[in-house]
Amino acid sequence: MKGASVGRFVERAIITFSWLAGAILLTVICAVTGYLCFKGLKTMSPALIFGSTDPMSALLLRQRVFDGLFPAMAGTLLLVLMSVGWAIPIGTAAGIYLAEYAGGGTKKIFNLLFDLLAGLPSIVIGLFGFSLTLFLNRHVSKELHPCLLLSSIALAFLILPYIIRTTQIALENLPVQNRLTGLAMGATRLQNLFHVLLPQALAGMVSGVLLAIGRCAEDTAVIMLTGVVASAGVPRSILSHYEALPFYIFYISSQYADQQELATGYGAAILLLFICLFLFAVAFVIKKNLPCQVFSQR
Amino acid sequence: MTAGSERVVERLFFAAAFVSAFVTVFIFGFLVYYGLPLFSGGRFIEILSSPWAPHQGSFGIYPMIVGTLAISMLAMVFAFPLSMGCAILISVVSRGRLSKVIRKVVEAMTGIPTVVYGFVGIFLLIPLVRNVFDAGSGMCVLSASLMLAVLVSPTMILFFCDSFDRVPRSYGHAVLALGGTRIQQFLHVTLPCSWPGIVVAVTLALGRAVGDTLIALMIAGNAVQVPGSVFDSARTLTSHIALVFAADNESLEFKAIFACGVSLYLFTTILVLIIRLAVHERGKCGQVR
Amino acid sequence: MRSRILMLLGAAIFFMTFSTSAMASDLDSFKGEKGEIKIAGGTAHIPVMKEAARRIMTLSPDVQISIAGGGSGVGIKQAGEGLVDIGNSGKKPSEDEISRYGLHLFQWAIDGVAVIVNPANKVRALTQQQVADIYTGKISNWKDVGGVDKQINLYTRDEASGTREVFWNQALKKGEIAANANFSVSNGAMKAAISQDPFAIGYVSVGHIDESVAAVAFDGVIPSRETVKEGKYSIARGLYSCTKGAPAGLTKKFLEYLFTEEGQQIVVEQGFIAVK
Repeated sequence: MKGASVGRFVERAIITFSWLAGAILLTVICAVTGYLCFKGLKTMSPALIFGSTDPMSALLLRQRVFDGLFPAMAGTLLLVLMSVGWAIPIGTAAGIYLAEYAGGGTKKIFNLLFDLLAGLPSIVIGLFGFSLTLFLNRHVSKELHPCLLLSSIALAFLILPYIIRTTQIALENLPVQNRLTGLAMGATRLQNLFHVLLPQALAGMVSGVLLAIGRCAEDTAVIMLTGVVASAGVPRSILSHYEALPFYIFYISSQYADQQELATGYGAAILLLFICLFLFAVAFVIKKNLPCQVFSQR
Repeated sequence: MTAGSERVVERLFFAAAFVSAFVTVFIFGFLVYYGLPLFSGGRFIEILSSPWAPHQGSFGIYPMIVGTLAISMLAMVFAFPLSMGCAILISVVSRGRLSKVIRKVVEAMTGIPTVVYGFVGIFLLIPLVRNVFDAGSGMCVLSASLMLAVLVSPTMILFFCDSFDRVPRSYGHAVLALGGTRIQQFLHVTLPCSWPGIVVAVTLALGRAVGDTLIALMIAGNAVQVPGSVFDSARTLTSHIALVFAADNESLEFKAIFACGVSLYLFTTILVLIIRLAVHERGKCGQVR
Repeated sequence: MRSRILMLLGAAIFFMTFSTSAMASDLDSFKGEKGEIKIAGGTAHIPVMKEAARRIMTLSPDVQISIAGGGSGVGIKQAGEGLVDIGNSGKKPSEDEISRYGLHLFQWAIDGVAVIVNPANKVRALTQQQVADIYTGKISNWKDVGGVDKQINLYTRDEASGTREVFWNQALKKGEIAANANFSVSNGAMKAAISQDPFAIGYVSVGHIDESVAAVAFDGVIPSRETVKEGKYSIARGLYSCTKGAPAGLTKKFLEYLFTEEGQQIVVEQGFIAVK
């Protein structure tokens, strides 16, 4: 009898504890987002992005924007496009190799190395990018400095494992019969891959790319070491310094000059939060709601 | 498509995989190469265990190692029970709509940028810690680890839930059939069966806590000292890299950040190996079924 | 809709031409210029650099001027290695650095370094000895220097900082800085940190002092532009820009602009002392 009452007590304690943990987590997340919105929503206006510059002439690069987020947003956009541009071809190809071609021992070694790459702290990737820049500057061309190009290459290394993994998993999860039908109909291995398997795995791969984009957009540590600066304007070349949204948030948080500048920091934080959550949501929807058939029916 | 081009494309796939894998090794080589003078002889160990005092010619990273461990371990102390509680709530206690909503929120939380946590940390958490505990500036080990706990919890929760859900249903039905409750089923069947998953989750979260730069850089205060209490300001290996990387390339001060990089690299390697082992164990567990 | 856009464009063009014609002639040499100037280093310099860059880039949108911090040490090193066009420094580079890198120096302003506290703190005067003792950790409570009974939160800068070096040489007389001091990465960051922490003490370029922080009289002299200018406030230094070799092209124009009437007016507006 005594045992049963102890058991009931433990049970109660676990239930209470789990509700408490849930409540704490929700409170924290509401506090974080609520605080940002409370402080930052009133800054949401075209002026947050374009400052006192006319939006049209800013977009056409006729006039510089000084007190808005436009240069940082443009920098982040270029950075994401370039990094993803590097990482998608290499990552997809590597993922295909792992899923379709690699055997036993090779696969094991590759898997281990990609896990390691995925686990490396982004500042270590940044440090690598920085030392690579120094190396190139010393041994290849004096014209190479920390810049948009080198940041995008370093960031590509950061997101490479995501893309490899999602490609690999999307392919490996395909049912065996789908794999065999094409081959049975006389398609070569590669034809089967491009016309049957990849279209079916597309949803999984796209959601992986979207998550990688989110990672690129939010990462600060890599770009901090490879060329982002607090004030540069919209970059005019891939070899120049640039601004980026997450670095801007970091910079403003520690060294805002006045309350107005701090307010744009809140605005930038909300903007980045929404961009990342939006990408996340889209990736989620693609993964859940687009069954393989949608792509393969064409 | 000819067999020849077929082979070319296949080679290209291999080349891509090889390049990506090679980069992983190459990064390590580069870090060691740039920090070279520090690694010759037994100096690496010396660097790891001596203090940082550039004026006196000592470039050890001992305070940063202790700072990193203190902040990340404390973060785990906060995050583990929190995540365990939430995971139990999601997969055992509440199984209705609420559980789905909480799960969605947790999934969305993994998408929140680190720098946003740091930003909120500076303006919300630091004044709070300063006023509540009345000790120092509020930029301290405690603030950083609280924020890090929030950062790593979602990943941990999702992994916990995943490993709870992996335990075959049939195992638990026996308990229920004997008149046990769901909690009993969880305590006596699910939890013991899912320990490899728990190890994976904790290791992953620890890796994230150790590897994160922004939160510690923004709210831990960055003082170069071995923290004596949770209210002391501290510097992590990652922040140290971010703060010192612009120093003179030829100086030992600059070389020392490569010692930080190599330490982080080796630490990550150990964690990845632990995860591999745990996943391997889990594979065995599945075969029993 | 289209006519609205056209009107907006028209207004923008009108505004541009109007504002250009109203601009002082000191900027004229930048008209139609293209190219890039990379600036890094001293963080005290940043407000002046930003304002100058803003005016130049408004006039000629094809000029790109990027400004990074890092501290004086970084400015000297990066300019010396050719990583940036202009490296700023809040201290005079050593003879060794000047000859090794072939640096050319341009001192375009005079600045002081002041002890600052949070405005909520009532302590407004400290002696040199008190400041040195606070920084070694010998005095660790505000009540020992006439304030409330609260622990003093120290803030300092990293080794690359020229502001730190000047402060360390002249205010601390090369005394030790306690290990528990928090680190700020720039003058701006120091000011922001002190303005948020009611029991903080830090040091910052006099040009950066505003109502968000309170300057502390040092040995009885209140740090301000006037006292630095008159030589009463002793912790003063020049603000330098360094280039590797003689500057040319856009870089040269930029540095020349700092010494024009308008450039020196920016220096004064941002809280520093003009050299002309």
